[in-house]
Amino acid sequence: MLGHDVPGLPDAARLRDALALDAPLSPETAQALEAFLGDYPLGTGHDVLLDSEGRLRPHWRGLLEALASLGEAGLAERSDEVQRLLYENGVTFNVHDDARGRLRTWRVDPLPLAIDPATWRELEAGLTQRSRLLDALFADLYGPRRLIDEGVLPPELIFEHPGFLLACDRGGELAGEPAGTPSGLIFHGIDLVLDTEGRWRVIADRVQAPSGAGYALENRIILARAMPNLYREAPLRRLAGFLEAEHRTLASLSPLHRDQPHVVLLTPGPDNDSYFEHAYLANYMNLPLVESLDLVVRDERVWMRTLGGLKPVDVILRRLEDAWCDPLELRGDSLIGVPGLVQAARSGGIALSNPLGVSVLEHPGLAPYLPALCQRLLGEPLALASPESWWCGDPASLETVLAEFDALVVRGIEPGARLVEVSSLSRDQAQALRRAVIARPTRYVAQRPIMPATAPVYDDAEHRLHPAPFNLRAFVTREPGERDGDWDYRAMPGGLAWVGSPGTPSLASEVVKDVWVLAEKPQPHVSLLRQAAGPIVVTRDGVDLPSRVADSLFWLGRYGERLDVRARLLREALLRLLEQDQQEYADISLADLFEALTLKWPAAAAAERRFGDLRATLLTLLEDDQPAGLPACFQPMLRNCRAVRDHLGDDAWRVLNHLRRHINALSPVPSASAGRRACEEVVTQLSAFFGLCNETMPHHFGWRFMDIGRFIERVLHTLELLQLALIEAREPGVALWEVVLATTDNVTAYRRRYRSELHPTAILDLLLFDEGNPRSVGYMLKRLCRQIERLPQSEASGTPYRRREQRLILQASSTLQLADIDMLSHVHESAEAREALAALFEALLEPLEKLSDAIAHSHFSHVEAPRQLIRMQVQP
Amino acid sequence: MIYRLRHTTRYTYSAPVTLCHNEARMLPRELPWQRCEDSQVDIDPRPAVRSERSDFFGNRVMYFAIQDIHSSLEVTVRTRLETLSRPPLPTVMAGDWQDCRDALARAAERRCLQARQFRLDSPFIRRHPRLAGYAAPSFPAGRSLLDAVIDLNRRIHEDFTYDATFTTLATPLMDVLDERRGVCQDFAHLAIGCLRSQGLAARYVSGYLETLPPPGQARLVGADASHAWLAVFLPGWGWLEIDPTNGSVPGEQHIVVGWGRDYADVPPLNGVMSGGGEHTLDVAVDVIPDDETSRRTA
Repeated sequence: MLGHDVPGLPDAARLRDALALDAPLSPETAQALEAFLGDYPLGTGHDVLLDSEGRLRPHWRGLLEALASLGEAGLAERSDEVQRLLYENGVTFNVHDDARGRLRTWRVDPLPLAIDPATWRELEAGLTQRSRLLDALFADLYGPRRLIDEGVLPPELIFEHPGFLLACDRGGELAGEPAGTPSGLIFHGIDLVLDTEGRWRVIADRVQAPSGAGYALENRIILARAMPNLYREAPLRRLAGFLEAEHRTLASLSPLHRDQPHVVLLTPGPDNDSYFEHAYLANYMNLPLVESLDLVVRDERVWMRTLGGLKPVDVILRRLEDAWCDPLELRGDSLIGVPGLVQAARSGGIALSNPLGVSVLEHPGLAPYLPALCQRLLGEPLALASPESWWCGDPASLETVLAEFDALVVRGIEPGARLVEVSSLSRDQAQALRRAVIARPTRYVAQRPIMPATAPVYDDAEHRLHPAPFNLRAFVTREPGERDGDWDYRAMPGGLAWVGSPGTPSLASEVVKDVWVLAEKPQPHVSLLRQAAGPIVVTRDGVDLPSRVADSLFWLGRYGERLDVRARLLREALLRLLEQDQQEYADISLADLFEALTLKWPAAAAAERRFGDLRATLLTLLEDDQPAGLPACFQPMLRNCRAVRDHLGDDAWRVLNHLRRHINALSPVPSASAGRRACEEVVTQLSAFFGLCNETMPHHFGWRFMDIGRFIERVLHTLELLQLALIEAREPGVALWEVVLATTDNVTAYRRRYRSELHPTAILDLLLFDEGNPRSVGYMLKRLCRQIERLPQSEASGTPYRRREQRLILQASSTLQLADIDMLSHVHESAEAREALAALFEALLEPLEKLSDAIAHSHFSHVEAPRQLIRMQVQP
Repeated sequence: MIYRLRHTTRYTYSAPVTLCHNEARMLPRELPWQRCEDSQVDIDPRPAVRSERSDFFGNRVMYFAIQDIHSSLEVTVRTRLETLSRPPLPTVMAGDWQDCRDALARAAERRCLQARQFRLDSPFIRRHPRLAGYAAPSFPAGRSLLDAVIDLNRRIHEDFTYDATFTTLATPLMDVLDERRGVCQDFAHLAIGCLRSQGLAARYVSGYLETLPPPGQARLVGADASHAWLAVFLPGWGWLEIDPTNGSVPGEQHIVVGWGRDYADVPPLNGVMSGGGEHTLDVAVDVIPDDETSRRTA
């Protein structure tokens, strides 16, 4: 028999025996498994992989064999591949104290958390019961509040919680409510911990903006891509159906029952922790991703501001927390809300998932009341228990809590409050907490700490499995039934698991796991992406484009091009500097290049220090805090990219991530030549990025705005460079003309065409007039002209007159076309020609500098932040 | 008494407003001792949307939205209503104020359960030992709750100076306590804070008070203002109104618009707008006894 060893000691041979019980393993697999599990400790409590006698639980066997068959090297390679995919797909979340766009990412364990079918059936029943329970509680709390009148819930428990929103009370209106309007809990995240007895315990409910379903999906897709054999064969429940169900539910919520309801996903914006997931889900479910400024309430309905005017919105999938949603009736200091939203929801003009007011369901003080509530509301015993806990507002509970204070975990009732383990506090801190609880008992909850079970985690440094405590977030959604108005709850067969002690926030964890719910028999492999397209058809990129998105794409283009120009100029400057050093002659163009880069020419220094000073000055442009530097140029580009995350292709996003990593690693640079190479890499990556955008983005309005942004920036820079080289340079001449050609990457074109020494006339021809040269001003104006012509007509259209931006681009084009080329060609010898050329540059720059504002004025809505008529003090 | 009530609020903006959403709590609520005829509401410019509902506390709320560009907003509510005398004060209170406090905390009776939310903190009012301390002399052991409340009402009236220049909407309660001055809203908040800090339930009442012109002088039109007082819950009896600004117990001259936990629940006009720049506010309130209007027109 097995299991007589001293607990805690590894016993590889025993494991091998255990595995061999049913069917023999190949010697290689057995060996790999042994290496894998060799020192997996036993006896520290419940473990999901091994039972108390050290035997492998049967449902893990297939998974482990499959992983072991990859071999140590193979698995390490797959693990790296998973990380690479995560990184490239931009599965990142924001960390607030890092404003420079350095996003954290987590590690996805190649070993999923496996749950056997029987365990899942039980868990699933408990999860859906919990959703039914909270839904019934929600209906009562914002309706008749019988639970309070009957004394089931103490009034202080509910009214003291900041999530109980008086504005969402429906008590007075239930009579007039249209029949069949669903207003309850739609989507529910449930945080679970497996305790050391092997029981699942619910530690938190997430209903306001439950994140994680998108991450779960992305983890699954990435692992399946990295380990295709494993996933294709696995008897594994698939996730696609769940989000499809959610999608159908959203569509069914449409208050006006339109055939093609307009559903949007409302995000707080790119600064939110879970913005990646918002963008990811929006894409997956084919919903426009909107921020509050994209929405406006008129006529008690919600409308989206698009390029083509206001478009009605029927359903909002909300990732914005309750309190911030409406500055009129909820938190008045919210700048990210939609004024009038509560009234629109109240009058039936919009449906929200979840409805406003649900945050009271996240109240940790409800836990001790749930068994009684479940009996009272559903007539069933509560299936999934919470850890033993007490709401201190109840006098008897307070007494218990104070008696056992040091052994408990204490937290405030407000959303996001930290769990404080009293035993981890100093005496003074513990006393202070105790006094705070006694002073305001209704504001505190205490619970007995949970001893967590462990799950195997792959250690990518040691190539071994180690047991670690973990949390699991499961998801439940409503699913429409066969008949109209019918619905039921359905749990996602999977979820997001993360390593950490009970209650560790998912975003604070280093390692996350896919969750496998095993099926009795192999499941057909379904492609996940686009499975859920569902019944909704939305034109994504026509005039339905939110004006904010157009705005961001435009500035993405401008900043991207600005970065490109600066990287090219810096490259040339560093190149000149290097040549100067070798040939020991001072390159006369350098001073002008410094000017173009808005750098100060270092004060005269001894000749031997001159090179070092110039190099140091130039390389500051690679530093983070240099206002004119490359990182400072990249940050606004990145910000705009992230604001339009759902409009960029995956390949473009992958390149952007490379570029981000490159930019973050720019400084310090050891040498001028390394700096030059770094600049070239920026140029290459940018060109790949915009190239992929051009190849993959539909050539609709969104793309046009990006293109216009790029070409406005490029034409302005080209003109300024020419102006500098031909008119304003301190040292005009061949050296600077070379710089102009090199910066615009036209040296080869020049040589091939003119086969001559550099000559200003030829340069002018190539860079100003030749419409066939994509780097010429002529070409750029033509392109801008065409793009601007094709922008959507605003509401005031129908007039035969040209809009301002059309007039400006026309003015620039005709100025160029009417220029006297013959006369200008004498620029290097005639003062008169020089003046004419200077005037020409001025005449071109003048309308082009106004172009950006004109486009913004015509097409981007400049929404002012809502303001309060009276300023109300807000309770902290 | 029969009154004709007129409340005009006018906002003038320095820059155009393109869209505004508003909530007005200016329609007096129906009470056993207050009968309201239909109000006449004039909003300029004309709102695109207007609807009425009752809020969590049962107050009448009028929502309206103006969707065209405008540079001023004027809301006038005219209501004719009759006030009767309120129920007489209880003559005998069972037990002392501490018994009442404990009964409230334990009671399973519906009205008590519903009153208990008014013992908690609210946006403008947080319970505080200093507030309990100020209230303490009115609450000696053994005194009846009614006597204690009436005494607190009297003391606030005597200790504090009415000073419209001192406070703003956001003056913290502790400043009011330190400086011993404020307006009706501050005194109502202060009294509520004192009562809640003693473990009692108290709510804020928003309304109007008929002010009598000095003898021999005519009433000045628009000279009245909106007024605020409070009510405290007496277990076994109900809500008792007190007016610490005047040190009185409200009667027929106190017209109730609505109530809540504090001012934040019942501002007469609240709104969110796009644009607007700076704004100026003019408010005019007339509370005119109906016999007087009939005399004037006669």
